[in-house]
Amino acid sequence: MASESIVVFAQFQSAVDEGFWHRFSSLKLNKLGIDDSPIPITGFYAPCSHPQVSNHLTLLAESLPSESNEQSSTAATSGGNRNRCPVPGILYNTNTIESFHALDKKSLLKAEAKKIWDDIHTGKAVEDSAVLSRFLLISFADLKKWTFHYWFAFPALVLDPPATLVDLRRASQYFSLEEAKSVSAACNEWRNSSLTADVPFFLVCVDPNSLATVKHIKDWETCQSDGNKLLFGFYDPCHLPNNPGWPLRNFLALISVRWNLKSVRFLCYRENRGFADLGLSLVGEALITVPQGRAAKTGNGLGWRDHQCLPNAVGWEQNKGRQVSRCISLAKSMDPTRLAISAADLNLKLMRWRALPSLNLNALSSMKCLLLGAGTLGCQVARMLMAWGVRKITLVDNGRVAMSNPLRQSLYTLDDCLNGGEYKATAAVKSLGRIFPAVDAEGVVMAIPMPGHPVPSQEEDNVLEDCRRLHDLVDSHDAVFLLTDTRESRWLPTLLCANTNKITITAALGFDSFLVMRHGAGPFSSNDERQRLGCYFCSDVVAPIDSTANRTLDQQCTVTRPGLAPIASALAVELLVGILHHPQGIFADGELANSSNSGSCEQPLGVLPHQIRGSLSQFSQMTLVGQSSNSCTACSSTNIRKEEWNLSSKQSIILPI
Amino acid sequence: MGTKEEAQGTLSSTDFGVSASAFILNWNTVCSSFPPWTWVLSHHQVEGYLSLENILLSSTQEEHGELSCPGPGKHSHQEDPIDVDDATLVHTNPCKVHYYDLHIIYCNSYRVPVLYFRAYDSDGEPLEFDEIENDLPAYSKKALSDSKWTFITQEEHPYLNRPWYKLHPCGTSEWMKLLFHADDALAKTGVAIELYLVAWLSVVGHVVGLRIPFEMMKQL
Repeated sequence: MASESIVVFAQFQSAVDEGFWHRFSSLKLNKLGIDDSPIPITGFYAPCSHPQVSNHLTLLAESLPSESNEQSSTAATSGGNRNRCPVPGILYNTNTIESFHALDKKSLLKAEAKKIWDDIHTGKAVEDSAVLSRFLLISFADLKKWTFHYWFAFPALVLDPPATLVDLRRASQYFSLEEAKSVSAACNEWRNSSLTADVPFFLVCVDPNSLATVKHIKDWETCQSDGNKLLFGFYDPCHLPNNPGWPLRNFLALISVRWNLKSVRFLCYRENRGFADLGLSLVGEALITVPQGRAAKTGNGLGWRDHQCLPNAVGWEQNKGRQVSRCISLAKSMDPTRLAISAADLNLKLMRWRALPSLNLNALSSMKCLLLGAGTLGCQVARMLMAWGVRKITLVDNGRVAMSNPLRQSLYTLDDCLNGGEYKATAAVKSLGRIFPAVDAEGVVMAIPMPGHPVPSQEEDNVLEDCRRLHDLVDSHDAVFLLTDTRESRWLPTLLCANTNKITITAALGFDSFLVMRHGAGPFSSNDERQRLGCYFCSDVVAPIDSTANRTLDQQCTVTRPGLAPIASALAVELLVGILHHPQGIFADGELANSSNSGSCEQPLGVLPHQIRGSLSQFSQMTLVGQSSNSCTACSSTNIRKEEWNLSSKQSIILPI
Repeated sequence: MGTKEEAQGTLSSTDFGVSASAFILNWNTVCSSFPPWTWVLSHHQVEGYLSLENILLSSTQEEHGELSCPGPGKHSHQEDPIDVDDATLVHTNPCKVHYYDLHIIYCNSYRVPVLYFRAYDSDGEPLEFDEIENDLPAYSKKALSDSKWTFITQEEHPYLNRPWYKLHPCGTSEWMKLLFHADDALAKTGVAIELYLVAWLSVVGHVVGLRIPFEMMKQL
């Protein structure tokens, strides 16, 4: 390299490990709050170890002070090793994006440059040379969106005029073979000793017999014998063959101020696979011509020897060639809602991988379920649906949470009972959201119109409105669960579901027995004459009447053995999942358990019954099949047509005749 | 000791420690040109795991210089002109490099080691799963989709409390059983414990393109 040009330094590159942001978020949330005073941090770097990739100044979780109450106002440089030279830095984190952009970058850089300048003049930089690479980080941590805006600065004192490059070549071309061997060995020793491995600036002294020694820069005096070659060495993170790394800038400043040298021979120390690599390392010679004695620009007359005369500084990190800040989003790994969602998905996927490859997770997550009743059955069904990955759940109930409810109705707690009690539909939705934030739950406070119950004339319009609303709800969902506590409240929903051919599941409780069943397809659902499975009312012989009048208290409240509701609810949801996975869906024939009907038993989820009746007193359960009845009061075609006519003419058969 | 465990393809947590020490020694001797595996103690200083970090696995040219963070108005902010001097090298488009961290952690419930890994770019931003898939060697991608032994899932790292990818351990004991039964010499000489991790990693490492030199199996 013959022509004289200025030394062009490759800038330090930053790398922030995810762990740093995690730790910082935790620190901010738990300890700092809105306190935005600067925080001392530690960066780590190592000499370049790859011919094509530069090393970075890295921040890790350990770069931050620990959260315990050990007060440390000075930069606590945590332990280094050969791969982690600690470097002191400072973090300015703002509380808003506006204040982040409004930070005075010029003066912040100047302040850090001044610290380096002071350390050079006081001699601290000779004792603890890592301070020459002191850095600055500004950031804005958005802990709602889990995005982090940040910008590094690596302050470098500007030589004015700049240092000129006399020579730059590979170290292996500079040293003789003997010298190279000795230099490598000495460097490797320096790098392997725990006392010096993390000291990034050093002297290389080669005597006339080609024997090299590596020393601390504070031992500069001892290297002054004639005939010795003296090189100023430093860990160079840069890999480029024509440019030394950034740490050399402040190193040259130090050399000029402390020892007033004009010509500096330097060694850019780089490694390969853990050993000194003199083919990758560079040796160069720079000429420093900053004014030392004559009048400097600030008119003081002492130039660089003058401590008061702070030189200019540069060093804000470029981002892909532009002078802008960087931004990183860690929502996927930090946002609790996202984490909950991926954990839930993982569970279902595991089921699919290991046990049930034909599990249709998409069908489950896109299914919209309507739950009529948010009591013992409703709460349990909702939870089971969420466990299966169903996200869209609507609950209909006009009651309020009563003091006795939380024990049996698993979505409610005591708080929901206070002050008269929250509406069940509303409380249930809130509760579901607390369990799984990504659930799309809606609550509808509404009574289900029932046949045979007297309706005062001033309520007529409301009741008609409720009928219409119920009709719309059934229409806009894929599956309906009838989970109310009276027979007659199931009638209108059954009719509406049959009319629109929606998957309908009924669960009903006695004192110690339960019924869980799926309704058959609606009467208008297909053109063929096959026998449909029955609905809840198909085996009735009378119309549903008001079953709550003239009943004793315990009959009215349908007191049941507590174990029943969870069992019935669980079976109801499993039945739905079975329907979803059956190739015929709602049209699937009713199967019996333990049947020798091996043809249809090969479904991966097992048999798909029509009805399950269980008894706790027997700890037993049986499956039944019932066909639809042409004179069913709820799902027969004649009845549905009559009802349609009635609704359209704005009269309801609910009104007492 | 562990013959019953060996028959089932599992190992105890103490034996995991033993196997890990043997593995580190073995690796550092045979693969001295590779960065070394290290043993990291958990914060309770009782359990530990094997760690190999900052492995450079890929470098392709960057396609476009878009900033990584989506958001309106971020370009509209007028940055003050920042001083740059002539002595600073202007960065050309750097190579896109992916870094990988690998941890081998003992799983108490399955009683086998589990490979946890994460990938990130030079800014520290974690890579998406499909970017990782692109890094994987072609045979590995195929193996992942075909084999029922290997599933990559994302779960919370047991010590670091952040999501890492892992190869799910549910099939491990089964194929480890096959591996050991296939090699009578191993079963008889009783060095199964010490070679467990080498054997295990020779299968599992394939998934992330980590080749285990054959010499490691013969080391004893």
